[in-house]
Amino acid sequence: MSVFAVDPLLAGEVGLEVLAVVLFKVLVVFVLLIVSVMLMIWAERKIISDMQNRIGPTRAGPWGILQTLADGLKLIFKEDLIPDNANRTVFKLAPLLTLVPAFLTFSIIPLGGDFTDKDGVISLFGNDTYLQLADPPIGLLLFLAMSSVAVYGIMLAGWSSGSKYPLLGSVRATSQMISYEAALGLTVAAVFLQSGSFSTHTIVSEQSVWQWNMWFTGFVPMAIFMIAATAELNRPPFDLVEAEQELVGGFHTEYSSIRFALFYLAEFMNTITISAIVVTIFLGGPNGPIFIDAVAWLWPILWFTVKLFALLFTFIWMRATLPRFRYDQLMDLGWKVLTPVALGWLLFLGARDVANDRGWNPVLVVGVAVTAFAVFGALLLRAVRMGKQVRELEEMRG
Amino acid sequence: MFIAAALIILSGAMGVIVARNPVHSALFLVQTLFGVAALFVLQEAHFLAAVQVIVYAGAIVILFLFVIMLLGVDKVEDLNVEPIAGQRPLAVVIGAAGIGLMLTVLVIATDVISGAHSSTGPLGESDIDEIAKSIFGDYVFAFQLTGVLLTIAVVGAVVLARRAATDPEPIPESAYDELVAAQIAARESTLTAEGGDGTAQDGEETTDDGEDSADDGEAET
Amino acid sequence: MLAQYLPVLGLLIFALLFGVGGFLTSGLLAPRSPNARKAAAYECGMVPAKDTPERFPVTFFLVAMIFIVFDVEIIFLYPWVIANGTLGAFGLFSILIFSFLVFESLLYLVSSGALEWGPVSQIRRARTEMVDADRTTSSTVRRVGLEGRPLEPQDQTEEAG
Repeated sequence: MSVFAVDPLLAGEVGLEVLAVVLFKVLVVFVLLIVSVMLMIWAERKIISDMQNRIGPTRAGPWGILQTLADGLKLIFKEDLIPDNANRTVFKLAPLLTLVPAFLTFSIIPLGGDFTDKDGVISLFGNDTYLQLADPPIGLLLFLAMSSVAVYGIMLAGWSSGSKYPLLGSVRATSQMISYEAALGLTVAAVFLQSGSFSTHTIVSEQSVWQWNMWFTGFVPMAIFMIAATAELNRPPFDLVEAEQELVGGFHTEYSSIRFALFYLAEFMNTITISAIVVTIFLGGPNGPIFIDAVAWLWPILWFTVKLFALLFTFIWMRATLPRFRYDQLMDLGWKVLTPVALGWLLFLGARDVANDRGWNPVLVVGVAVTAFAVFGALLLRAVRMGKQVRELEEMRG
Repeated sequence: MFIAAALIILSGAMGVIVARNPVHSALFLVQTLFGVAALFVLQEAHFLAAVQVIVYAGAIVILFLFVIMLLGVDKVEDLNVEPIAGQRPLAVVIGAAGIGLMLTVLVIATDVISGAHSSTGPLGESDIDEIAKSIFGDYVFAFQLTGVLLTIAVVGAVVLARRAATDPEPIPESAYDELVAAQIAARESTLTAEGGDGTAQDGEETTDDGEDSADDGEAET
Repeated sequence: MLAQYLPVLGLLIFALLFGVGGFLTSGLLAPRSPNARKAAAYECGMVPAKDTPERFPVTFFLVAMIFIVFDVEIIFLYPWVIANGTLGAFGLFSILIFSFLVFESLLYLVSSGALEWGPVSQIRRARTEMVDADRTTSSTVRRVGLEGRPLEPQDQTEEAG
């Protein structure tokens, strides 16, 4: 098994024809992303209004489906303000730094392809390829790298505005995003452990119709990934970054016109991408039963879409249901719960694999693991209590 | 490809030095790091390229930016002040010596530095397997020492940043009184200097600032 | 192998074109009538009175610091998870020791109170005992209004004053 999968399209000589196919794929993914973001924003507004007993957008197009397009066009015609205090170069650069990672992450998502007998290879204009934009050797690490870069967009947007609320928002955001990035990295490692590869294509092909990584990794990584991803996206209940009551609009308070639109677009694009990544690494990606052979190519795409919609709905539901965290609660959850649990669980999974290989007594392994969890959990609890005491003492001294 | 990556790195490195604003310098540093990542990719070291971006750009430069932003040193430096006496002439001498040394090496050692590609070639199928073999094989002791080093780094950061925890000395009351007295004096001087409208607002502003800095002081301890 | 990055590069170019194109279109179409009030920092309609604070709680810095430690830990974990099949028990135990070292630094950071946020009254409220249900069954009097307040008398006067 090779660690790095290789897209057969780009494995050989890259000629003009291959370039044309690549360009076609890029265009399709680009348009797909923009359109799905438009629909996502509309769907989110519509579903949230249903949950809150409102009607939501109705005017632009049937059921208001063109609302996002109308908003986008309107924003282009709005005056683009740059505050006097702003650092102009960085102020202009920041929206791009948010937008570009949002686009790039989507390129590693397998959108379809029959993984049951053809290893996800499809034929496009007579060229064999995967139904995913790219399968670079770093695979899912691209997602982690891009989420690191996305931090810059938010951080610099707040700083360069030269205004109080954006700065506070961006400092909060940066701290929050890097905190949850640790938990995110550890849960992704559990998937790597399961699949033995970084490549999203291999991760998907290691799973099958119902045998998803969600079961193999014992559900805990997926739960942590979902929570950490919500925090990484700055979506409610983790949207302290733009807590309206405290920070006006958060890091993009000073942004207007198209620059604001790009932030908004990137935010929802990231939501879609993260959901797609959850589908890929935990829910089997496009894997699923194929019923009618005549349209066999359609089923994986359908399964992928269904799973994606279910996850997106979950995100919207969470937003409508949960109240916002307080900042100390947010940080406590990230550092004192999610990160240690994710680390412990990953080590447990690793121990399980080694134990399977060497034929160790499973009861013993589980026993040792449970004891270790208990001991380190107790240590952590004690540390948390001590920390609170220290803090209290400091505060009393003034 | 190599030339493109090298250009990215060199322009980034120049930018770090030339940019007057520390935040711009940090951004140029990110550009340099991305260029180095591109070089890693050219060497087929894909994992190292990803690590380069995730750790350096994603964590370390973020820390730099945090320090720049949070400590309020993001102001343009005054170039007329020389922090260490004799620093600038010394810098010129050492820089020239360095360049001279490099040029000498380039001229003399033509047989060693041929510019040809490495004879061992890329790391084979994947660099990550090789890295795993090294870390958990020959260099496992050094790897564990890295863990100790990280712990020491955390302890150092806490000791430096939270000295107040062991040394509980609150801001003396007298210092605050002095601050208030200074502000009152400042307000009076502006009143006598300008008089009439607008000064009341100015006065308020200065008191507010005073309170603000006092608050910040408390937050730091 | 390098060609595998080609589509990513393509999407990067498209994304940049989209962003820059948006800026240019907006630049051509949007009205432009700046004035001093619009370009001032946004403070909900108030005239900005204070400068942006220049110093922040040091906890933010410590979070970034511990993140570096964990990021390095995660990076060391990745080779292990990929090669776990071949490394076997030796790899497992060396990673366990390493993880313990990192976990230890997290313990130290947490126990020194470096990751504590928010007002201390929250902590105090969580520590003081709450009125439980038993009390209301034995007597009808509930100590309403004392919840979360410290029980020491001098602190009470402080709160009252």
